[in-house]
Amino acid sequence: MKLLSIIVKSLKEQWRSFWILLLTLSMGPFFIFVYYLIIESSKPHYDVVIINNDRGYIIGSESVNKGEEYILFFTGKVKDTVDMPFSIKKAYSKPDALKALKNKKNDALVIIPEDFSKQIIEHRNADSTGPVEIQFYGDLTSVNYLLSALWANETLNSYLKKATGSSDLIRISETGIGTSSSISDFDMIVPGILIVSIIMLMFTASIAFVSEVENKTIIRLKLSRVTSFEFISGITVVQLIVGIISILLTLITAAMLGFEFRGSATVFILIASLTSLSIIAFSLIIAALTKTANEVLVVGNFPLALFMFFTGAAFPFRSEGFFTLFGYPVSLQGLMSPTHAISALNKILIMQMKLRDIIPEIISLIILTIIYFLVGMILFRRNHMKLK
Amino acid sequence: MNSLPGEAVFTITSLKKSFKDLIAVDNISFEVHKGEIFGLLGPNGAGKTTTINMICGLLPATGGTIEFQFCEKKEIRSFIGYCPQENIYFPKLTCLEQIVFMGNLYGIPANECRSRGLDLLEMLGLTNKLKVYARNLSGGMKRRLNIALALIHNPPILILDEPEAGLDPQSRVLVRNFIKSLSKEKTIILTSHNMDEVDRLADRVAIMDWGKIMLTDTPYNLKNSIGEGDVLEIEITEDTGGKTDSLISALRHEYNVIRSGNSLIIKAVHLIDKIHGITSSIKEAGLTIKEIKLRENTLEDVFIHLTGRMLRQ
Repeated sequence: MKLLSIIVKSLKEQWRSFWILLLTLSMGPFFIFVYYLIIESSKPHYDVVIINNDRGYIIGSESVNKGEEYILFFTGKVKDTVDMPFSIKKAYSKPDALKALKNKKNDALVIIPEDFSKQIIEHRNADSTGPVEIQFYGDLTSVNYLLSALWANETLNSYLKKATGSSDLIRISETGIGTSSSISDFDMIVPGILIVSIIMLMFTASIAFVSEVENKTIIRLKLSRVTSFEFISGITVVQLIVGIISILLTLITAAMLGFEFRGSATVFILIASLTSLSIIAFSLIIAALTKTANEVLVVGNFPLALFMFFTGAAFPFRSEGFFTLFGYPVSLQGLMSPTHAISALNKILIMQMKLRDIIPEIISLIILTIIYFLVGMILFRRNHMKLK
Repeated sequence: MNSLPGEAVFTITSLKKSFKDLIAVDNISFEVHKGEIFGLLGPNGAGKTTTINMICGLLPATGGTIEFQFCEKKEIRSFIGYCPQENIYFPKLTCLEQIVFMGNLYGIPANECRSRGLDLLEMLGLTNKLKVYARNLSGGMKRRLNIALALIHNPPILILDEPEAGLDPQSRVLVRNFIKSLSKEKTIILTSHNMDEVDRLADRVAIMDWGKIMLTDTPYNLKNSIGEGDVLEIEITEDTGGKTDSLISALRHEYNVIRSGNSLIIKAVHLIDKIHGITSSIKEAGLTIKEIKLRENTLEDVFIHLTGRMLRQ
């Protein structure tokens, strides 16, 4: 009865603390979106500009333009190759094209000469007057230029062999991996950000605990003989709901941006629940050491930074363990529950492992949650609920 | 409550509380009887709130005992309704929500909480604020809500720390009448700096200072036994023959008399009973009375007489 009353009251107060709730729930989706933009914008892309000065050649009554044919060949080659990050554009003014090149708007400029068609046809008829000169322009120190020039050169050679009817001496077979593999860079960062969305719970949970101290309503609770356990449990249930909503919103956002959920939903909820509980328990420690919401916002930033940047949540973080326990590495980062949560989610969502494969992570999460709760409860009772 | 009418509800014996070197409550003893309104008076820092916190079970005593006649000490918090000096409320809950919430915490069923809460809010003039968040109430309304929160579990003992603080005159009258009405069925302990409030409400008063109880008695007895007493100011017609001086000499055998121009200021306990004798003496001296003013000895006079004029915390 008392527990239910505290849950209902805490739920109402949480809903009415709209801005802090919005902050907590929006952080996960926000980070997902930011990382998506970063990854999308940092994907390699090469822009090749071609100026076709070829005047063409008349064979009988038919006019041919080999420069145009090459451009079509290059464009077709790019389209036929899966995930080829090239774009072919045509330009008509050399000064404008060079200006765009200098401003890094394009990566390479290829200029096809006026007698391109004539030379190819004469070469085919074995009355060539000399090699045709194709001009390449670009920043020689730029990897983008080198790759663009390499591809332009390769396709040009292929086209010329085809156009002149030359035979291949060798044949190269190439199979792409990397961007063509099934797990993208975006997929790789999603588990960490899912845990970030739960780490943000630290603020709502700490404030929910400390607001009773700040408003002095803790006196009313003490007078009513509510136990510390009932009080803490009531708030914990509500914060657990907030945590689950937060991670689900983040997951939905990730899915909308292309993340493919591969693991078991039950195991996912289990990990999310345990992580939420551990963060709520840690929030209790913060609440025990502070007296106001403002203090929570200041003090809470230290563990927030540690949890975000040293557990692999915000970006991949590798650390060597001091030793291994039943094959599971034990490290300083292991004192922070998100470390285990991220490891578990990576195994489930990326490596498609099963529950039995994440038993060490689950046990670590449970142990840390119990330790955080015990420490938090002792400190909170001593600092805020004990008769002095 | 099994105690008989007038029987002590609780007895405090040699109660002490110290915070490191500071002795906040120093060996106090008193008892509070069933159905009485007991006023605890004292300047700031006298130890009133510390005493109350120990009675409520919010603060452990350093020494001494508080014996409750009708319940175990561990149960006492359920038998006491406490309205602290500072308004304490849940800012994001409406008036009715927090009343029901507190009732639930005391184990009262939700329906009963609601109906009792509605009654209390009506009695305290908050019916039209049932669905208003407590943070949006005026200071006086918050004070009244605080009193309602102390009463939701219908406790036999009600402790009110400065119940009229921050109230406008209308609210003060409402709260005073409400407290009076409660005294028929509850034992009430109240602290206040407002001597008039205590004089009007309290059956007995204890005056505290420096952590000690200086006196405990009814306001009537205190006013009639402590201090310089009532003040009688008599303006007489102009005297040219030295009759006034002779009169003053005669009156000084019995009273403290001061001359101020054509007025005589006489101070004594129970002056109301002595006015007739004094006016007769004036007439016998051949003087004519123009105006008489009598001001009763107040509880504030008693308080200042006992605690002095030195400023406190």
